[in-house]
Amino acid sequence: MGIEIRPVHPLFVGEVTGIDITRPLFADDVAAIEAGMDQYAVLVFPDQPLTDDQQCAFTANFGELEVTLAGQMAKPEHRRFGDKLELGDISNLDGANESRLRARDDSRRMYALANRLWHSDASFRAVGAGYTLLHARIVPSKGADTQFADMRAAYDALDDETKASLEPLITEHSIIHSREQIGFEVRSDENADRLKPVPHRLVITHPKSGRKSLYLSSHIGAIQGWPVPEARAFIRDLTEHATQPEFVYAHKWKVNDLVMWDNRTVMHRATRFNDLKDVRDLRRTSLKGVGLEVPHAMAAE
Amino acid sequence: MTMEIRPLTRFIGGEVSGIDLTRPLSNGHVAAIEAGMDRFAVLVFHDQHFDDETQLAFSRNFGELEVSSGAEMSRPEERRLKMEMADISNLDSRNRLRRPDDRKRLNALGNQLWHSDASFRAIPAKYSMLSARIVPARGGNTEFADMRAAYDALDDDTKTEIADLITEHSNAYSRETIGFMRDDYGQEFQDRLRPVRQSLVRTHPVTGRRSLYLSAHIGTIIGWPVPEARAFIRDLTEHATQREFVYAHQWKQWDLVIWDNRTTMHRARRYNDLTDIRDMRRSTIRGDGPTAEQIQQAA
Repeated sequence: MGIEIRPVHPLFVGEVTGIDITRPLFADDVAAIEAGMDQYAVLVFPDQPLTDDQQCAFTANFGELEVTLAGQMAKPEHRRFGDKLELGDISNLDGANESRLRARDDSRRMYALANRLWHSDASFRAVGAGYTLLHARIVPSKGADTQFADMRAAYDALDDETKASLEPLITEHSIIHSREQIGFEVRSDENADRLKPVPHRLVITHPKSGRKSLYLSSHIGAIQGWPVPEARAFIRDLTEHATQPEFVYAHKWKVNDLVMWDNRTVMHRATRFNDLKDVRDLRRTSLKGVGLEVPHAMAAE
Repeated sequence: MTMEIRPLTRFIGGEVSGIDLTRPLSNGHVAAIEAGMDRFAVLVFHDQHFDDETQLAFSRNFGELEVSSGAEMSRPEERRLKMEMADISNLDSRNRLRRPDDRKRLNALGNQLWHSDASFRAIPAKYSMLSARIVPARGGNTEFADMRAAYDALDDDTKTEIADLITEHSNAYSRETIGFMRDDYGQEFQDRLRPVRQSLVRTHPVTGRRSLYLSAHIGTIIGWPVPEARAFIRDLTEHATQREFVYAHQWKQWDLVIWDNRTTMHRARRYNDLTDIRDMRRSTIRGDGPTAEQIQQAA
């Protein structure tokens, strides 16, 4: 049985069958998945009972693993996966103590609530994430879909005048900004360097497909050269355009789904569930992006 | 000539013809307009050649005029219009276009967020009446969303969950969202930013219909952690402003649009405000009472 990809949305997202990703892959399987990512931007692999190590091994087929910011900033006793900083804890569990859910006012819960804003992973780094891979271990009975929006389609749908006006714009991204939007203050004392705004182009070109897309994210707090309120109102408008229902796919999780997306061509967000009662345990790996650097000269303007 | 109302969308908005609002109205006309407001929540009238005096005279038919909060938060020399007339323009007190970094301009960008007028007052606004004196060549639409339809479309679990929730509103919250900070208002106006409480679900006094009382001015829900409240209010706002519930008004000069702030939200859309003039004037009718009990503030 060979690998097969079936479209599940008119614009993007493919479901992949005929492959067991818990085992080492052949080079042509890796190539087929990469080609699928260039075309579909989001791939869903159902029924893949991955362990943490297997997830990391599968991820490493596509590039260099990135450590998570939340892991870097967390106290060791709050980490569920010990020193394994490349494994992101997308759960509502209380650290090493897996029998307890996070309390309502737990600061990690507050921090994670900002994942309900549309974003692109790690866009607050000088080089944002390439692929993110999210694997479902425990899913709640209701809610908690992850939604994806196609930033290529969003770009294509702009009129020519708007496209031209966006081309030169440089935005500034920081984790502080996305958290600020929901009234959560990220403390900067120990982590000042990781929180400093980084510049990115608003319009990026995918290094392989050559397609242009909008590089939007809730981490954007400014556009270089614009008054802040004007920049934020404008980014909100663009985000609304880019996440209109036609461009969005909502993934309803089943246990052992692995979903893989390209942060250079999609935004995503979490949606609400009863997180004070139901357990949700997803694990994230991600890859460093390529093709997202803004040349220094331009960033310094 | 008789007054007629044509529905503009499935849920919200009616276009009114056959009436000149600049002249004194009969009680029958006032009652017909109020009935239209109760049904459509937004009424559009064309070719109403108002000046400020005739607009205010027309407005008084529907209740007590509210003083503009923008005027209250401006120094006398910064005002272009009288206190009862909210200045929805991109002009300064000398009728010049505002510059890119003008504080008033940046503050006014907050009107591009979905809101209900004066929801930051303990007794919030009933009707707003906006008259288009000069309109830009392109853009600058106002969009309206039907908060009754938005409420009706919620599932029963959500209706139960939100039934008794109380929110906290302040002008500072909506401006903070776009990075216009509390200090930018000036020291003498800080008192006016003190939050007030509102019910999240309210009932219209005449029709008895329930609606979502949402607004960009909401900063939290009483008893909730702030980030959870804000994420939830964002979700509700997105639900409440989905296309089906929205009427987008494309302005022509001398349009008058009236909306009921108790049953709608609205927002301004972008236009080229550094080159095109947009001069709109808003009169506002005060509501009947508070929607929630206020906590006593220390004097």
